[in-house]
Amino acid sequence: MGIWSVLRSLALCVCALTAVSVSAQEKTGIKEGFSLKPGTARIVLMRPTVRVGEQSTGGLFEPNADWTTQAREHIVAELAKVQRVLGNVVIDYDEGMAGEAALVSQYRNLFGSVADSVIEYQFFPGNRLPTKKQDKKRFEWSMGPGMASLESLDGADYLLFINTHDAYGSTGRKALQIVGLLAGVSVVSGEHTGHAGLVDARTGELVWLNADKQMGGDVRTPEGAAKRVAQLLEGFPGRTEGESQ
Amino acid sequence: VRSLLKSAAMALAAAAAPLSAAQTDYTLPPYTPAYEPRTVDERGAWMQADEYERAMQQSPLLVTDEGLKAYVRRVLCETVGHDRCDSVRIYVLESPHFNASMMANGVMAVNTGLLLRVRSEAELGSVLGHEFAHFEMRHILEDFKNRRGASDALAWVAMLGGISGTDTSSSQMLLLGSIYSFSRTQETQADLLGFKYLAASSYPSTASAEVWANLMAEQDATATGRKRKARHSYNAGFSDSHPTDLKRAAYLAKAAREVGDTGDDPRVTGHYEAMRPMLPRLLHSQVRMHDFGGTEYILGSIARMTGWTGELLFARGEMYQLRGNPRDFVTASQFYRQAIAQGFAPPVAHRNLGISLLKAGAASEAQPELATYLQLAPDATDASVIKALIAK
Repeated sequence: MGIWSVLRSLALCVCALTAVSVSAQEKTGIKEGFSLKPGTARIVLMRPTVRVGEQSTGGLFEPNADWTTQAREHIVAELAKVQRVLGNVVIDYDEGMAGEAALVSQYRNLFGSVADSVIEYQFFPGNRLPTKKQDKKRFEWSMGPGMASLESLDGADYLLFINTHDAYGSTGRKALQIVGLLAGVSVVSGEHTGHAGLVDARTGELVWLNADKQMGGDVRTPEGAAKRVAQLLEGFPGRTEGESQ
Repeated sequence: VRSLLKSAAMALAAAAAPLSAAQTDYTLPPYTPAYEPRTVDERGAWMQADEYERAMQQSPLLVTDEGLKAYVRRVLCETVGHDRCDSVRIYVLESPHFNASMMANGVMAVNTGLLLRVRSEAELGSVLGHEFAHFEMRHILEDFKNRRGASDALAWVAMLGGISGTDTSSSQMLLLGSIYSFSRTQETQADLLGFKYLAASSYPSTASAEVWANLMAEQDATATGRKRKARHSYNAGFSDSHPTDLKRAAYLAKAAREVGDTGDDPRVTGHYEAMRPMLPRLLHSQVRMHDFGGTEYILGSIARMTGWTGELLFARGEMYQLRGNPRDFVTASQFYRQAIAQGFAPPVAHRNLGISLLKAGAASEAQPELATYLQLAPDATDASVIKALIAK
């Protein structure tokens, strides 16, 4: 363990003690003029990234295997259930015999970086890059056209990426929060973030991104996971009427 | 409030007190194979490690050379024994830095920079044994628990100190220090268990201390190359995660004297044979670390074992060409020439020789080398540039 991880956790402690909630954050971006007509596209769902655990008193993430397994099962089941309201065919990614797992995992990492950049430099007005300030409606992000040549994505029109991270406040963290409340120091207990994004498989363009730093729904239960998935897919382009939420 | 905080901090610091130096029993503890995680924390740590392993399997840094992979596994098994090594998954990663690491779930990651620096199977076994010891003693989980405990206490100390208007900076420093001293204690424990594996194996246990002595010598060479003075202190600094190399070399050498198994063969040739197919690649990334003194030291210590082979001479030429003083191009040309004469003559050797000769002002000698390069690699991406150089 290096000095950086300790400094980072310390910084977390300090941040937590002085945190101001970010409420002016935007949550959704869609490429200008983009629309997805029901029944026209084939969407490939990449393996969702799910991390669930507790937040220690000092703010460290404590991974919990049982909760993560539960959450993954519930979220995947719920995604399968809501597919019919997404208006298009959604299939799970399958590497098949292409031998492209390494490359595809690089694209998953790249999506994570691009999504983080959108959240940091476009959704958060205080950090907005100059080129993103001129026209607030403009949503212009891309992962490059390289994916078009992947054999395992043959026939795919769009890729759907899902990412959730939950750290439930531990008893100690909640106690610290209460004492902080009495003392007038703001302590954030629990962290629930997630994002979902749709990428054009041929051009690599990010056509839709939905990100939330304060998500609802307890992903450890089927009902909570249903609420979370509904939140993640809020504003999904081309969805049909008659959804359950 | 203040005394309460102080005692809490002191209790934590005491929990992380360094282990006693007196250690004379070198027999191996019994081992339980097929270990499964038990507590909530441990299952969480394993799950996280499983995710890392998944990512590591797809890493572009992953070395695919079957011979090298099999070699590293053989050395681990030779060191810790088959009952211990069989469950370990080893991933060799292409990174020029000296490092190896162990995850909670039994994943061992080994950098190629480590392979380049150790000088025998025994030295490699010593480092791999150290890493395996972290796994056998469940150190990753314990370290996480310790960090959590200390940061929990830090949060309360900061909060209560703020409320009561007490200056808690010294308690906070104590807690922070306890995180590092705990980590150093674990490293020493892993050194000693790793040493026991080596003592019980067919390798000489003196190799453990030699790893650290060798690393210090490299640091000296790096410092000299950068016109600085190397300093080796015996005591670790406040925020050091490991004991100093000097201290490790000292206590491991003492242990080796007590065991007295100096007669075993450290097996030098096997190590260099296994590394040979990838050696040019590993040397190439080492040269690009821009560490002239350190790289020269590494090349020298390999050459002491294998002689100056074409691969080593070529890397030496690259070192000088990269540094790029006017005189360096003359030296680089000589080394490239010797490499080619020794039979290491890929197209790039002719190209680099040609370019070095050009920069050294020997254009007429450079022309045929560049022409040979184009002949051997007509489709090279820089072919048009080289053609232009010849035309001048």
